[in-house]
Amino acid sequence: MKRIFNLLRRSRSTQLGPLEQQLLLALWMRGSATVREMLDAGDIKLAYTTVMTTLDRLYKKELLNRVAEGRAFRYSPRYTQEELEKAAVGDTIRQLLGSGEAASLPLSYLVEAVSEHDARLLDDLQRLLDQKRRELRGRLRGEFSAKEKR
Amino acid sequence: MFAARCIGVSLAVFLLLYVALSLAVSWGWKLIRGMVRPRSSRDSADLLFALRVLPLALSLIVTLGFMLPSFLLLEPRSTNEAIGSAPLALGLCCLMLLGAGIARGVIAQRKASRALVKWLDGSIPMASQIVESGGAVPIFRTGNDAPTLTVAGVCAPKVLVSEAAFAMLNPPELRTALRHEVAHALRYDNLKKLVFRFSVFPAMADLEHAWSEETEMAADDAAVSSYRDALDLAAALIKISRLGPMEPSGELTMALLHSSTALSARVHRLVAWNKAQKPLNSGRWVYGVSAATAAAIGVVTTYGALLNQMHAVTEWLVR
Repeated sequence: MKRIFNLLRRSRSTQLGPLEQQLLLALWMRGSATVREMLDAGDIKLAYTTVMTTLDRLYKKELLNRVAEGRAFRYSPRYTQEELEKAAVGDTIRQLLGSGEAASLPLSYLVEAVSEHDARLLDDLQRLLDQKRRELRGRLRGEFSAKEKR
Repeated sequence: MFAARCIGVSLAVFLLLYVALSLAVSWGWKLIRGMVRPRSSRDSADLLFALRVLPLALSLIVTLGFMLPSFLLLEPRSTNEAIGSAPLALGLCCLMLLGAGIARGVIAQRKASRALVKWLDGSIPMASQIVESGGAVPIFRTGNDAPTLTVAGVCAPKVLVSEAAFAMLNPPELRTALRHEVAHALRYDNLKKLVFRFSVFPAMADLEHAWSEETEMAADDAAVSSYRDALDLAAALIKISRLGPMEPSGELTMALLHSSTALSARVHRLVAWNKAQKPLNSGRWVYGVSAATAAAIGVVTTYGALLNQMHAVTEWLVR
């Protein structure tokens, strides 16, 4: 979860403060809520107006949808966690590629980092496989010796 | 004028149905998969394929089986009614949609055939008996300019194994990897991909991606019959991915490995393999046949009334 907010922090268009993060998380968990419902749930110990202003800010940042419900609004997340993570990663990469005069430099770092990540991933998978193979050999040896004894 | 009106209205009905059904499927497929809860990857892949082709199939059935007969039987031929602007505009849109689908399909098929001819040049046929279940699928040993391990060909799929794969994999690993590819060939997965190309709708990319992942898992399940096989296939996946960066798979092919994210998930799934997860032929087709028979009986007994209703709908469309 922290990863999404770290990425969003780097993304200029959707920088989120701690309170905004807390409320967005609460809405992801609840699906939708009014300010009163969020306060009544007891997880958020803040003044009504603070929550209302923060949700309004998230709405203006286009991270929430809202519909009128009586004299209040019912807020719901515009994006799922997965969608937001995807958008934030895309934004970060775009910033990275646009950061230098020559886009090829950050791109080459990115390719290098991905290759390193892939190599590490393959090493981890290989280790896991070797361990499972050892376990299988041990089990077969055990079964064979049990048969021998019989 | 009657024929032009008939064609215009038929195309308009087809388009409206196709777009409505496609939107419904692209929004609701996750929900449907959650409700049906397929018991295996093969069932899940089949369900996703059925959902993907449902808009095209159902639109064709309704247009050719109901709309066209209702127009031909119930529309008076003597009237000199014009086509109408709505059917004309919708009909033209439909023609463009169908044209785009046919063009995509034909281009994909041509690219795939050209690539296959190039890869097969100088290849050596192998004894299919190397894979117990693969008697029906020809296997070729190709040079290193071909993909490492893949199934190519739409109607007559062939398994291609490169020299690099031969050098890298030991015999048990090669056997399970080939069984995986043979499973794709026997299920005609490339033909299914071609059907997707014909059925154009932009919002279907997620569904197609999910189908692709499930198909890989289903082929893994088909290739593995013991824990040792599962470990061999996992080893083959890791070795193949070490051969080089992930290449984009060719047009209408099913490579052993198509993305690094899928690799991790598949290896973890294989090392956790147990006999209980092997899909059984549970006889689910009996339910399918029963449902289809019931639907057919329902349609036959109410066909006249359905044609009348369909004609009322087309009248509304023409006005």
